[in-house]
Order: sequence, then C-alpha cells, then structure tokens
Amino acid sequence: MKKDTIKLLLIFTPALFGSFPALANVSGSDWKPQIVEKMFVLPPQHLNKVLNNDFKTSVLASNLRVTDNKIKSKIDKINELNSFLPNASKDEILEINHQIILNKRDYIKDMNNLIIMKRQKLETKKAFFEKIKNNIKYTNKNTTNHSVFLNNKSKALERAQRLDLKIIEKTSLNINEKSKYFKQYETNKNAIEKLKIAIKNHPMNEKSVLSNNSDNKLEAISNYIYNIETEIAVLEMKEQMMSYMAKIVALDAMKLAENVSGINQNLDGSFIPGENYNDPENVIDIFTKL
Amino acid sequence: MYKSIAKLTLLISFVASSYANASPIGPLERERAKTLNLILDKTISIVERKKKLEKSKMKLLDLERMTINNKQINKNPDNHTIRAFEDFDLTFLVHNSFEKNKPLSIMWFEKMGLTTDAIMNAQVSRR
Repeated sequence: MKKDTIKLLLIFTPALFGSFPALANVSGSDWKPQIVEKMFVLPPQHLNKVLNNDFKTSVLASNLRVTDNKIKSKIDKINELNSFLPNASKDEILEINHQIILNKRDYIKDMNNLIIMKRQKLETKKAFFEKIKNNIKYTNKNTTNHSVFLNNKSKALERAQRLDLKIIEKTSLNINEKSKYFKQYETNKNAIEKLKIAIKNHPMNEKSVLSNNSDNKLEAISNYIYNIETEIAVLEMKEQMMSYMAKIVALDAMKLAENVSGINQNLDGSFIPGENYNDPENVIDIFTKL
Repeated sequence: MYKSIAKLTLLISFVASSYANASPIGPLERERAKTLNLILDKTISIVERKKKLEKSKMKLLDLERMTINNKQINKNPDNHTIRAFEDFDLTFLVHNSFEKNKPLSIMWFEKMGLTTDAIMNAQVSRR
C-alpha cells in the first residue's frame, strides 16, 4: 500500500510541475533571445539593435503583428457599423448595436492579448539587460580584486612597448640570433599599430569609446532598463483603461438587453416597464382603434 | 581495496602537483636562472660567456615579450606571477638592460646591491 502511494506520488509530482509552464504560457507565444554570450561585449546601442532584430524573427513578434491587424479591422468594423446607425430602422438599430457591442467585446479581448504580449516582450528585454548588468558588475568586482596586478601588468606592457623600437635598433646586427618569434613579433606589431591608427581615425570610434567603458556601459544599460520600466508602467495604465472599456461595453450590453426585453431602469435603480407586447394591457390601443 | 586507494591518491597528488607547477611565467623564470648561471659560471672563458650570453639574451627577450603580452594570466594570476610583475626590473632583465643602456649582468648585480662602491666599502669581519 505504502509502495503504491510512493509510486503514485512519483507519477503525479512531475506532472504537477510540468503543468506550470503550460499555464504560464497562456498567450501561446514566446520569445527567448537567441543571442550568444560573446555579443554581450557589444556597445549597448548595438546590443539593443541585435535584440530588436532577434525579436522581429520570434513567434511573439508575428503574433503581435497578427493581433495588431485584428484590432485595426475591429475598429474599422465598429466605425462602419456606427455610420449605418443614422439611416437605420428601429429593428436595424437594435441589430447594429448588438453587432457593435460584439465587436467592442472582441476588440477588448484582442487588445488585452496585445497588452499581455507587449508586456511579455518588455519583461524579456528587461531580464536580458538585467543579466548583462549583473555580468558587468561581476566583471568589475573581479577586476577590482586584481586591480593592483593588472595595473603592474599594464605598466609593464607600456614600458615594453616603448622599448620595441630601441630593441629593433640594438639587435639589428644579431640577425642570426633572432628567433622566428622575434621576426613574427616585429611584423605583427607593425600590423597592429596600423590597425590601431585605423581604429582611432574611424568615425564610429568616438561613439563606441564612450560605450565600451564599463562604467558608461553600465549607465547606458541602466537607462535602457529604466525606459523599459516606464513602458511597463504605461502598459499598466492601458490595462486599467481596458478594464474601464470592458465595463462600458458590459453596461451597453445590459442597456441593449433591457431595450430588447422592453424594461428600462431608472437612475435610482427602479424598473420602468417599456413597450411589452406580451402584456394584453399594452395592446388595448391596437384593438380599440377604428 | 587499499591498493586502489593508494593508486588513486598517487594519481590525485600527481595531477595536483602538475597544476601547481604550471605557472605561466615558469619558462621565463627557468631561462632567467640559466642566464644568471651563465653570468656566474667561472669555468668558461670571457669570449665563450659573451657568445653564450648573447644567445641566451635573445631567448630571454622572446620569453619576456611572451609573458608581458600574455592576456591569459590576467584572469587568475598565481602568487609567482603577481610577484614577478611587482618588480619589472628584476623579472624582465633584458628589457631593463635595453631601457637603462647597461649590460644585463650589470643590471642584475646592481639590483642585488652588488655595486663596485658597495663591494669596496664592505669590511671583512668575523661573526
């Protein structure tokens, strides 16, 4: 008996956890940035561009486009139906109002989905930048720990580079003593110097110099995160707006239902019977008219 | 059972010791030691020493350049490497001699405090 319970637990527990991701992904769309870790070294502006391009190819982006088009068509339909209202008969008005309410309901549904997807996009972007921010912070922390050593090493490198020309001059007579590495070092050093000058004179260099500095990069990424947070806050306000819209549509539907059933409601909540032809009292005029 | 434990311990200690010895500045230190041995070697003639020193100096210069330009050691430097970069003049003897325009051996003697003045001022005494 005990063994059976354990077996059942073993079967159901993973199934229970397995159902959570399915619940979380209600909108049926997802975006996981396919950006390799090496890209993290890119300046923030370029990183943002790469991230946006990655998003464009995702399922979430295509779903966003589809929903966006759906919303546009719903608004066109509502406008079209509204334009029919002035020339419509009483029965037609009822039907048009019914259609308008249905379209408004669909619009709210789609808009709600759109907001959820936009939020998902922003949350993913934010998580991505947060990850980079943590990476930079971690690297900076490690760099501080070795800062004395790195300082000594960079000083050594500077001193050695200053001596390169002098070494070439002084060793020009020892041709036989020069190793393969020595010759390769000279050639590569010249090539590196040429490349360094080309980078220095490149018009895009100034921009990347600003963003390649780890402090500047951290600040730029913090700014991106701040902007994303403001966008999320705006979306939250839109969600509130949508809830009010839904309330209005619900009230419109109630009004339409009352009109159809022939019952009107006063402002104080008391009901006024409308034109109800199911009651013989209301049709006396029809019968008494000569 | 005990035999296999002993073998395993031996293997672990061998691997651990090989890691401990694999300092990135090891080759430079060995070559520097060879060069200093050559400077202090009394069994060879002055001409021979000069010839051998010239060869050793070029090899040491290559190793010094390799060490200075090695970016791998930035990540997790060991104590030997940290100490080596704390004293550029003593670690990178060839670079130092080019910088000061003095022979390599003189640079090392000076760094060790073995200058002519110091030797001349030294007094013979019994402890």
